[in-house]
Amino acid sequence: MKEAIFTIGNALGIHARPAAEIAKIASQFESSITLYGNERKANAKSLLMIMSLGVTNGQEFVVSAEGKDEDEAIDALSLLISNNFYED
Amino acid sequence: MVGIVIVSHSKKVAEGIKDLAMQMVGPEQKIICAGGMEDGGIGTDAVRICDAIQSADSGQGVVVLVDLGSAVISSNLALELLQENGIDTQVTLADAPILEGAISAAVQAFIGGSMKEVVEAAELAREVLKLL
Repeated sequence: MKEAIFTIGNALGIHARPAAEIAKIASQFESSITLYGNERKANAKSLLMIMSLGVTNGQEFVVSAEGKDEDEAIDALSLLISNNFYED
Repeated sequence: MVGIVIVSHSKKVAEGIKDLAMQMVGPEQKIICAGGMEDGGIGTDAVRICDAIQSADSGQGVVVLVDLGSAVISSNLALELLQENGIDTQVTLADAPILEGAISAAVQAFIGGSMKEVVEAAELAREVLKLL
């Protein structure tokens, strides 16, 4: 298992569009990917579950991946999240 | 890619939902509207739904999202029309809120989800709370 911790930096937090971007990237990997934020957890391959976390700007956000492509999955999601979902 | 059809009594509602869902997916995702009547009035029309289903299908099936009441009746009638015309497109009506369901289904379809996965993504919208 591999984990990465972030602080959400874009102004609107994980609203619909960033959630869709996460789901699209996460779905490219076989690994099981779980997101933790706002004291909840969600399957990273489900748009609605990601949105339901309600993670906002400045909150801590953990991405956890488990499977044979977990390193690549974490790298791909890290790029998206650390670039503030290319929003700001 | 599984196709999506939006059935609403209102042309504007169907088009608005499509606009919103297309923000989340690439232009190659098929989302076809069957909103309102042929003359632009309020209502649902089985023939228009039948045509929309055929336009949405690229061989992997079509998931239909409906708004209220007779949208279900007209959609079921559209499925009968397809059968009568010998068209064997795989079609499922999702039992989901139309807006949230359509967006969830569109993303799932766009990332290569199967019919079952796209229907499940749409129907998950019944359970996800909005206010935390």
